[in-house]
Amino acid sequence: MTENKEKISFKPIIGLALVSLLICGLLFPLVVTGIAQVFFPYQGNGEIVQLNGKPVGSNLIAQNFTMPFFFHARNDSASGVDPDITLKDAYSQITQINNATGISSAALTNIAEQNQEGTFWVFGTPYVNVLRVNLVLIKDYPSVYGNFSG
Amino acid sequence: MIDAIQAISVILILGITILIAKLIAPYIARVYNRAPSRLDKIVNPVENFIYKICSIDPSHSMGWKQYFLVGLLLNVAQMVIAFLILIFQGNLPLNPLGFHGLSWDLSLNTVISFGTNTNLQHYNGEATLSIFSQMTAIQFLQWTSAATGICMGIAFIRGFIVGSKNMGNFHVDFVRTITRILLPMCLTASVVFIVMGVPQTLNASTTVTTLQGTTQSILVGPVASLDSIMQLGTNGGGFYGANAAYPFMNPSPYSNVFMIALMLLLPTALIFVFGDLLGKKREARPLLWGAYILFGINLAIAFAPTIPLIAPGIETRIGGFMSSFYTVATTAATTGSVNSALSGMHPLTITSGFLGMFIQSIPGGKGIGMMYMVMYIIITVFIVGLMSGRTPEYLGIKITGRDVKLVMVSFLIHPIIILVPTVIAYASGAASAIGVGGNSVGYTQIFYEFTSAAANNGSDFLGASGNTPFFNIATAIVIFIGRFAPLAILLALSGSMIGRKRGGTSGLKTDSPIFTIVLVASIIILVVLTFFPFLALGPISSFFRGLTNGF
Repeated sequence: MTENKEKISFKPIIGLALVSLLICGLLFPLVVTGIAQVFFPYQGNGEIVQLNGKPVGSNLIAQNFTMPFFFHARNDSASGVDPDITLKDAYSQITQINNATGISSAALTNIAEQNQEGTFWVFGTPYVNVLRVNLVLIKDYPSVYGNFSG
Repeated sequence: MIDAIQAISVILILGITILIAKLIAPYIARVYNRAPSRLDKIVNPVENFIYKICSIDPSHSMGWKQYFLVGLLLNVAQMVIAFLILIFQGNLPLNPLGFHGLSWDLSLNTVISFGTNTNLQHYNGEATLSIFSQMTAIQFLQWTSAATGICMGIAFIRGFIVGSKNMGNFHVDFVRTITRILLPMCLTASVVFIVMGVPQTLNASTTVTTLQGTTQSILVGPVASLDSIMQLGTNGGGFYGANAAYPFMNPSPYSNVFMIALMLLLPTALIFVFGDLLGKKREARPLLWGAYILFGINLAIAFAPTIPLIAPGIETRIGGFMSSFYTVATTAATTGSVNSALSGMHPLTITSGFLGMFIQSIPGGKGIGMMYMVMYIIITVFIVGLMSGRTPEYLGIKITGRDVKLVMVSFLIHPIIILVPTVIAYASGAASAIGVGGNSVGYTQIFYEFTSAAANNGSDFLGASGNTPFFNIATAIVIFIGRFAPLAILLALSGSMIGRKRGGTSGLKTDSPIFTIVLVASIIILVVLTFFPFLALGPISSFFRGLTNGF
């Protein structure tokens, strides 16, 4: 070990600031982007869902459903784009969808149940992805949702 | 209240995290001892190249002053670079949404906040920052502040090692932290996040036509690379304003648990590294048990009220229980990312959050939390010494009057830089100017803002509404002092241990369970005595007034 020099030299500081910018601010995010785009393009680009070859939304971002024949997302959550509703919430919307579409309550209940997401162990409460169940409705009932299937 | 299965789950998540921390600690210790490693073949040439182009002499060693100053100056240089990037964002590449440069006071607040591992955010990233800024200003500083914190912690330990002659070389520690610890860990964590659904792209948005025929912009970007360093580096600053409540940052119940484990991992590992580097593994026990007993008390406070499964402010996929757990962890590790809306939370959960940020070492930020816990140990040794009439000793070193003065000053900085600006915010009208009232709810928000800034936590109630010159500048000053003043003092303390006479084992046994209990008690007494009146005006008052409609 060389002697303790208490003098501060600035060249290593400026150099290291720039090198760290290059490695941490550019190289790392670019390498991770490369990995995502090559191996996991679906997740890497935001889980974009398609209907008949056209992008109609993201699995992870709520869309503002207002029409009575769709399940509706929440509008009070922390992120403002919560893509999920609880199974209970889904059940509470069934009467309204039944009135608007004529699809039987039993069939709607079944669709909600079939599409509930696994919660982690015991945490939370069973939930459904709103976009996913609405896409199921469109696919299962083309006569009702003909206008929406593109 | 929580049920037995939830309690077991909490213990399992914490237990597994602590176990992994213990397993990686010897590797971390070897990195700073410059011990040979299998990585050498790949990493040595890279490191040597960096040393060469930066004119770094890796054999040079530093005293505490030089070590601290080099770290401080490097951090300031990095903040200046990021400041320029934010100011001139409009003229820089990778700005697909065409955002303008930030105001000087918001830029200043942001770079000081990120350059110190705080990540208080007075902006919403998705509506303010270009992809380039997210990478080269935000993520850049998240890396460098994390690396700096670890280095300072390691240097602090070195002062206490028997026979050590200096604090090491900051340049070398900094480079090795990035190449040998953060790069492999963040790369792994980023890939896990991507698999779980976190986007990573250089695009800023994808436009889709929704089922109902309207146009929707899906805001994406290099999120996974941020998620990893945000949690591993106990940074906490989000890509989006909603932070870890935003589905792209935290897509599932699984990613939520992963995030909790990641933010506790390095602070806990550094506790084990303390014992490993000292060559006295048992001395890590009071730090570990002290931290996690207090963490357990905080969890008990947060879980005391009835936690709803779902409520306004709670994301469906995460649920109330995991939101409360996350909030306790994020304040205890001074990370500051949030997965739910603080404004909806029960006053007891908020109180628990305050306690985590007051103590700053349960387990605290990586490196820094361990330093604070040693500070509490020295205070405790001193108090016990006074009571028993014996000379206080720690690790066989006699604790002098100067040592006690140093630790008391570093402890007292914290309440001063929280309480004084809180008062100024009200006296100057800055709080009412952004619509925050003087009742217990409003006061809690302002008090929380400065507590979070001082503790380098970063969670807050204000968010983008804090983007006023007063709050930008006031919190920037508090953050800067809250980071660097205690660091300097604690490094001075550690540096003064070098070359001191080590006595026998006549002193108090600091590795015993009884000492841990005394330590926990003295931390509670210190913190309660200091902060209770101020908590009473805020969340405790809200609690007794029955303002508990949240979660």
